Amino acid sequence: MFIGIDLGSRSVKIVSISSIPSAEEMEITTMKTFDTAVFYRGYIKREGERIMVDYKKIGFSDMDPLRIVATGYGRNAAGINGTDVIPEIKAHTRGAVYQTGFRDFTLLDIGGQDVKVILVRDGRIEDFTMNDKCAASCGRYLENMATVLGVDIEELGRHHTDPVELDSTCAVFGESELIGKMTGGALIERLCAGVNLTILKRIMPMLNKHRSEKVVLAGGGGRIYALQIMLEERLCAKVVTLKYPQYNGAIGCGLYAVS
Amino acid sequence: MNQQIGITSTIPIEILYAAGRIPVDLNNNFMTDKDPYSLVDSAEMDGFPRNSCAWIKGLYSVAVRSGISEIIAVTEGDCSQNHSLMEVLRSRGKRVIPFAYPSSKDPNLLKLEMERLMDRLGVGWADVSRAKERIDQIRRKIRYIDEITWRSDLVSGEDNHIFLINTTDMLGDPDRFERKVDIVLNTISNKPHLTDQRRPRIGFIGIPPIVSDMHRFTEGLGARVVFNEVQRQFSMPYETDGLVEQYLMYTYPYDILDRINDIKAEVLRRRIDGIIHYVQSFCHHQIEDILFRRDIDKSILTLEFDRPGPLDERSKIRIEGFIDMLRDRKGLRG
Repeated sequence: MFIGIDLGSRSVKIVSISSIPSAEEMEITTMKTFDTAVFYRGYIKREGERIMVDYKKIGFSDMDPLRIVATGYGRNAAGINGTDVIPEIKAHTRGAVYQTGFRDFTLLDIGGQDVKVILVRDGRIEDFTMNDKCAASCGRYLENMATVLGVDIEELGRHHTDPVELDSTCAVFGESELIGKMTGGALIERLCAGVNLTILKRIMPMLNKHRSEKVVLAGGGGRIYALQIMLEERLCAKVVTLKYPQYNGAIGCGLYAVS
Repeated sequence: MNQQIGITSTIPIEILYAAGRIPVDLNNNFMTDKDPYSLVDSAEMDGFPRNSCAWIKGLYSVAVRSGISEIIAVTEGDCSQNHSLMEVLRSRGKRVIPFAYPSSKDPNLLKLEMERLMDRLGVGWADVSRAKERIDQIRRKIRYIDEITWRSDLVSGEDNHIFLINTTDMLGDPDRFERKVDIVLNTISNKPHLTDQRRPRIGFIGIPPIVSDMHRFTEGLGARVVFNEVQRQFSMPYETDGLVEQYLMYTYPYDILDRINDIKAEVLRRRIDGIIHYVQSFCHHQIEDILFRRDIDKSILTLEFDRPGPLDERSKIRIEGFIDMLRDRKGLRG
């Protein structure tokens, strides 16, 4: 049994891959996701100075041998003997190459507090850019805006036509601006489109640095269908959303565990 | 009279030493304070905006808390927040002497500016030239340490950073500073100049980082930091006959293209694999990232920090990814 674990800022994603002799035959057997705060409260145990993931509680108790590869903010907490830690961009690149079969593309990962744009050539990282210090326009912003609008992320992500212009991408101030527009009578659909447009404006300068004919969408942002449509219009590129966008980093880790 | 004069940025310290005064780089005192974070807090308590440069806030608190009554503030060739800092320090009873690097890079204007400072401190060119000769002896040794940093693995990127940065005031005592330099030179003399070719070679560009462990963390990942761009400029890396020429060749206060040309030359000379561009929150230098990315043909990781302290997890993740990418690339391309 091989385990990949992506300890992100908003959620923890875990996949297990069955033990098989070759990469072609491997199978993802388990996918689990936990809210990060819940995970750290319920699935972390202390051993002296160290904090470690309680894999038994997660349900991986009898699976042996266990090889674990971890990435993300909490990567160093994953530690049990035999756990390897790899950089996030490496995990995400490996996951996207596996999920798409593409060798040359730009990977756009919109996570809880990070946006990553990775230029992949011949299946390897050529260059990458991440968002600046401000986490505006990341997953947390989308969650806040969806809550204010009274819709779920999927509904928010459906709309892209006739967007209301929003100035603030800040996860805090965006809220008050949105409420102001709502009280002004703007339609929810147009406000959803406006939120999606602010995301697009934030990520376009990063994408412009690393252009490809194919763009692969991953992370929680992969659930925003409108982004795929708007990106295709602006980039004149084929935009593909992964089958498992939020598990991409964990899948990449799992693949490293296998190899 | 208190012999110490505070400085807010690199200025011709040769004039100060010629006048028998002791330069104190307030930036260095800020960074070596036992609690630099509280210095920023303290400036904010006095009304400095949360969204202004933490270096300026640190300089302010260091200046106010120290017994230094006279401060030379660089008002041209550094950021505009220095202007406001100067005004606030004046209001706190400090005597402030402005020093301006002419943006036109006109040698006559720079000479006039130097002579204005010399008049104020009551010293002439003959004394200043003698001071330059003495300081140059130390600058040459620092240049050698910088060279050894990239030619071998004998000097760490962090030690390189510290030695270069200390040249801005020579620790207020050139003889004592030279003794420190000599200790390092004696330690590394006769040792073979070996480098581990597998380690990615990193150049740091931008102002010196406000975080305390960026060099250590980067080298701890197996990389080598072989270039500290602005710190090297602070050390006056070129052999010159005259003081005016020396401070005209100093790239930092002038056109960004001077800096880009210097970086490009050093990237080649030091065989740099990738660049980490340090930017300060709320600083105009952030905008220059556009030009560095346009003109420098190397992967650039831009990192932004606000307040002093250790690296945060977000930044560590970015540095790890960057070094890993460069290491893979080095392995692929031999």
